[in-house]
Amino acid sequence: MLRKYIVLVGGTILLNACQPSPTFLAPASPIANHEASLYTIVLNMALVVFILVEGALVWIVIRDRKRAGDEKLPHQLHGNMRLEVVWTAIPILVVVVLFVMTVQTVNAVAQPAHLKSDLNIRVVGHRWWWEFDYPDLGIATANELHIPVDTTVQVALESVDVIHSFWVPQLSGKTDVVPGQHNTMWLTSDQVGEYLGQCAEFCGTEHALMRFKVFVDSQADFDAWVANQQQPAYQPQSEDEQAAYKEITGACAACHSIDPAEMDTDKVGPNLAHLFSRTTFAGGAFDLNESNLRSWLKDTQSMKPGNDMQITVPSQQLDQIIAYLIHLK
Amino acid sequence: MTTQVREIPHKVNIATSGLLSWIMTVDHKRIGILYLFSAFIFFLVGGIEALLMRIQLAQPDNKFLSPDVYNQIFTMHGTTMIFLVVMPLAAGFGNYLVPLMIGARDMAFPKLNALSYWTYLFGGVFMYSSFAFGGAPNDGWFSYAPLTEKAFSPTHGMDFWVMGILMLGLATTIGSINFIVTIIQLRAPGMTLTKLPLFVWTTFVTSFLAVFSLPSLTTAVLLLLLDRQLGSHFYNTAEGGSALLWQHLFWFFGHPEVYILILPAMGIVSMVIPVFSSKPLFGYPAVVFSTIAIGFLGFTVWAHHMFATGMPTASLLFFSADSFLIGVPTGVKIFAWLGTMWKGKLRFMTPMLFSIGFVALFLIGGLDGIHLAVVPVDWQITDSYYVVAHIHYVLFGGAIFGIFSGIYYWFPKMTGRLLGESLGKWHFWLMFIGMNMVFMPMHVLGLEGMPRRIYTYGPGRGWEIWNFIETIGAAIIAISVFIFVVNFFLTMLRAPTHHESDPWDGFTLEWTTSSPPPNYNFAEIPTVRSRRPLWDKKHPELADWKEETA
Repeated sequence: MLRKYIVLVGGTILLNACQPSPTFLAPASPIANHEASLYTIVLNMALVVFILVEGALVWIVIRDRKRAGDEKLPHQLHGNMRLEVVWTAIPILVVVVLFVMTVQTVNAVAQPAHLKSDLNIRVVGHRWWWEFDYPDLGIATANELHIPVDTTVQVALESVDVIHSFWVPQLSGKTDVVPGQHNTMWLTSDQVGEYLGQCAEFCGTEHALMRFKVFVDSQADFDAWVANQQQPAYQPQSEDEQAAYKEITGACAACHSIDPAEMDTDKVGPNLAHLFSRTTFAGGAFDLNESNLRSWLKDTQSMKPGNDMQITVPSQQLDQIIAYLIHLK
Repeated sequence: MTTQVREIPHKVNIATSGLLSWIMTVDHKRIGILYLFSAFIFFLVGGIEALLMRIQLAQPDNKFLSPDVYNQIFTMHGTTMIFLVVMPLAAGFGNYLVPLMIGARDMAFPKLNALSYWTYLFGGVFMYSSFAFGGAPNDGWFSYAPLTEKAFSPTHGMDFWVMGILMLGLATTIGSINFIVTIIQLRAPGMTLTKLPLFVWTTFVTSFLAVFSLPSLTTAVLLLLLDRQLGSHFYNTAEGGSALLWQHLFWFFGHPEVYILILPAMGIVSMVIPVFSSKPLFGYPAVVFSTIAIGFLGFTVWAHHMFATGMPTASLLFFSADSFLIGVPTGVKIFAWLGTMWKGKLRFMTPMLFSIGFVALFLIGGLDGIHLAVVPVDWQITDSYYVVAHIHYVLFGGAIFGIFSGIYYWFPKMTGRLLGESLGKWHFWLMFIGMNMVFMPMHVLGLEGMPRRIYTYGPGRGWEIWNFIETIGAAIIAISVFIFVVNFFLTMLRAPTHHESDPWDGFTLEWTTSSPPPNYNFAEIPTVRSRRPLWDKKHPELADWKEETA
């Protein structure tokens, strides 16, 4: 029984250890790489201090415990000026070293002056999803950002409501998305892959479900993605699709656009033009597939309580709308 | 020890026993006990809130709490532990002990003292009443604007929070002024500032920190109240207000606040370790100076909470450098405690265990805090579970362990009874183990990219196992607190046996009077010649005043 339990717990830990966490300690960009190296140095310095001080504490506790029957008073030492100067000076030296390394890394992760940006992106924080606009390419999308590998990407961060924070640990540290303030950051990655991001500043009820992904694509994949995103949304063919289209460009359009180039709007929901080119929806909270979408449209509030989509699609229209939406690739 | 006779002042006592005697009291000892007792009740409430959060996070995609409830719970947990638990616990010890330690008969303003306590209690109860009036505050203990604006937080929760904070700030300001005047004016003859017990020093510095930092918080919440109730636009970015104004005002209070929370616990530890090592505090002037230095530096680092807000590089580096500097006086303290224990005769009674636990755990909190001052590293770990780990190593491993050390140490002074030692040791070891099980894995979670304040998380990110271990650790902490409560009741049921005694072989004036002390504390005001007046009395041949000529 016990052995079985140990195997179970051990197995769970191993399994967990093998799962890929969105951690900057597995960096996929020079920025995260600098941050991870600096972290490792600071951690090792801290570990040395930790071992020395906790070691001294344990040693003193064992050595200097009062033995039974020992009633002799210890030497009443009030202080030692030389020792106190030394243990004030050493931390000062350590923090000077830390500060120098901090300055170096702050400079190292700043965008080099000669690196002109190859791609401009605008990130807009909404409660509780991410809008990603490519102003030069005429693309508006949501919750999944695509960038080409080995490219300098300039990111402008804006919020339409409260403070959010844009964090893709493997690509870069956080930059807050502050309403009324134009923050910028830069991204670049030398590794094709899929990286998890998440809002890192508490922004209300569904802060936990304000996730996103960054896809670092090969140049060819990125070009193909751009070409597809620039296409107009799928045009309805059948009568059923016509009906769905009417609904989506009617009632749904109060909050959602299906014009792929429509950015800078006051619409509260994401652009749907190429919805099914994405892998997740509702702030990166759920895998995008027909059954999840069906549950969502039936009752968004049970899946993501508090979100702004306070409507229920009537069941007679549901099939039509879903049948149309899955064409929006 | 020579003594000086002063007239015992006539105190007006409307009632001397029963409930009314507690409600009407202006006696610093009773007010101190009221503070400690009320804050402990809030500690249990805040602890239950923590347990609810740990149950919710025990597994991914858990539906135990709705997001709305979770957000109220984590907000109230932070607000409670900071404003309703640690600050008033420190105020409770300060009220009880400062007059006794400086050889005074009461605080300078006994009635203001009562006002301070009742304002605190009312503020706390008022804030909690929000649960019954449409929902508790739900924007976190630092309540960033503009999320707190009416447009985004339409319930009355934030209004309750603002009003509650105003009352608690008032209570703390009154109490702090009282401490400052008491410590300046009412010291026994001979007790110069260089002879003040360390706990009195930390209370003194803490009081200045509170008096100078609270106006910033008061301003911040008043502007928020104007925004919410009268439609002004201080933080309303849609109308040209500033989101970051709140952060500057809040953290100008908020960082000194961290030292307001930890300095009194450092004072307690600096009293306990010498007694249980049978040695004087090593490097008393350096420890006092480091306390004052922390007080000053504490006002210059607030923006290190804001490294990710898009600050210019020059500001980043300024606040980074200042934050590193605070590590120096903190290090001085840790070395001083080790130096005090060095070649002492250490007795491991429960107060000493909690003080040693404080040193061990606070060191971790300090070292992981250094990581947060390293700007590029901070960009990764700020607002992640790493920060949650850090604040709990400082405020739980630090402040709460220091306070429990104080509770075990001065319990016989307050009640004439010793808390049970073996239950005390169970309490310590379970709390120590549970604490590390909860908060050590939070470092890993932060590094693995888990943001703080999320009510749920998905599977497959490697976060499950750490969250599960943390929940078990939280249960162990709960058991340890339960053991403490049992210990308290078992002890109170026994007859007091330590009225006259000095159970720990103490050093300072509070142990020269009976336990609990009489209404007037000292029949004769003592005259003080050194930092350890009672030690001098017991060991005239080794008296401190011979050493402390400098």
